[in-house]
Amino acid sequence: MIDAFAAEWYKLRTVRSTVAILGTVAGFMLLCLVWSWYVARYWDGLSAARRATAQAAAAEQPLAVSLPVCAVVLGALALTSEYSSGMNRTTLAALPRRPTLFAAKAGVAGALMLVAALASLAVGSGAGHVIVGDRAVPTFQGPAADVAAHLLWLGLTTAAITLVTFGLGAVLRSTAGTITAGMAILFVLPALAQLLPGPWDERVWSALPGNLSNQIAGTPGSSGGHGVLDPPVAVAVLVAYVVVALGAGAYSFARRDA
Amino acid sequence: MIEVRELTKRYGGTTAVDHLSFVVRPGTVTGFLGPNGAGKSTTMRVLLGLDKATSGAALVNGDRYTALRRPMREVGALLDAGAVQGGRRAFDHLGWLARSNGIGARRVTEVLEQVGLAGVARKRVGGFSLGMRQRLGIAAALLGDPGVLMFDEPVNGLDPDGVRWIRELMRALAADGRTVLISSHLMSEMELTADRLVIIGRGRLIADTSVRELADRFRRGVLVRSPRPAELTAALTAAGGAVEPMPDGAVTVTGLDVAAIGDMAAARGIPLYEVTSHSASLEEAYMELTADSTEFGAPLERQAS
Repeated sequence: MIDAFAAEWYKLRTVRSTVAILGTVAGFMLLCLVWSWYVARYWDGLSAARRATAQAAAAEQPLAVSLPVCAVVLGALALTSEYSSGMNRTTLAALPRRPTLFAAKAGVAGALMLVAALASLAVGSGAGHVIVGDRAVPTFQGPAADVAAHLLWLGLTTAAITLVTFGLGAVLRSTAGTITAGMAILFVLPALAQLLPGPWDERVWSALPGNLSNQIAGTPGSSGGHGVLDPPVAVAVLVAYVVVALGAGAYSFARRDA
Repeated sequence: MIEVRELTKRYGGTTAVDHLSFVVRPGTVTGFLGPNGAGKSTTMRVLLGLDKATSGAALVNGDRYTALRRPMREVGALLDAGAVQGGRRAFDHLGWLARSNGIGARRVTEVLEQVGLAGVARKRVGGFSLGMRQRLGIAAALLGDPGVLMFDEPVNGLDPDGVRWIRELMRALAADGRTVLISSHLMSEMELTADRLVIIGRGRLIADTSVRELADRFRRGVLVRSPRPAELTAALTAAGGAVEPMPDGAVTVTGLDVAAIGDMAAARGIPLYEVTSHSASLEEAYMELTADSTEFGAPLERQAS
């Protein structure tokens, strides 16, 4: 078990796509600082009357938008990139116990995205708050505990999306197919859900994986409109996605010929 | 030791391996021969636990491969030299493999030196030639210092120097007492490398034999031409040879070699115009054995419409 985790971690950190994804996360983290700086400048130019009603997205917004995409790409590549080269056979010959191997692969991919998300969110949001300082922008003045909970759940949903895509990849075995499916879940299904007759439009939209984080712990200081699920229900839905996707993936991975 | 027992593997309606049984023993190089599509790679994939057998068993040292805790220490295998991720450096490719089976990093350096890739250890595998990838795949197989080695078409893409290097490596590994199985569709290569041959066609066993036995089996006798065939036939039959007349007056003799036939004719004063040993080459023997089982045979003659 330890051998498998150590070997998969070795693999994940020596493949170029991982470096590219982490670089992308770092880039969006810097964008958080640019955004915060822009908000501060903008705020300074507003009249007192405008300030009373002005709204601005929170410091971590660039990461909140991009982390799910990075999670889909990394979660998909973690397994499917081996199928295109045939390396999955080399891997299975070295680690023939499939459930262990599956757990190791999912574990290192999920853990890496969790750490990358939490670290970038903490730095991006923290630095953003410092840049905006004591300006009374609502989304930059939330209580520290609420901000921390919000960032923690953004990180956890990022890891969950990584695992869901990973499970999907084990079933589909194709990088292009898995990334397309992941993007469809994040961006196409929410738009389609809004075409449903009420109240199903809102219910379905709220249950989609990309929309759960804000229903569990929303951005402090922002107005509502994040969905209709109670936090515990949203957590349960998120866990269900992970369990179902990993279960289907593990079954497919263990049963099919390599 | 490798044991394949009544192994059958079907993919949908296609039977790739059909009740195949053979044993590969330590201390010898065993050639695993068959035309394209005969089931060699499928058998190796089942041996490595990559594909599941439909029925029967494929065992390594008496166990199923998937039951081995650190399999690379018992079995080294090279199935497909292209099965690497190009972005990774050679050292790291072997590095994660070593880590997966609890093998130290020093061993990675050792095998890289052994296969002649020490100089490119820090280069990305994507830039490697097919020959370099074969060497990297062999390095991976040797990593755990295993007692059983399996190579699928190891000489593919190698230059003559590389082919000779592989041949000597395989012989040296067998001389250490290891079990070495090499698949190939080239008899000419196996003739120089292997001691034993397992020949399959359409998923079935055709021959499980030593190289020498196969050569003997396809010795077709000696063609003898003489102006006095009747007298010669009588003399050779008396000496224990089997004589078969040919349509052009010559005879084919089996059971006696060229020297014995020449001596006997000289002793009786029978003139000989031709004495030709007629043994088939192993290549011909192989072609004959597998003639019925090539999957994609081209018709030799095409009838005019």
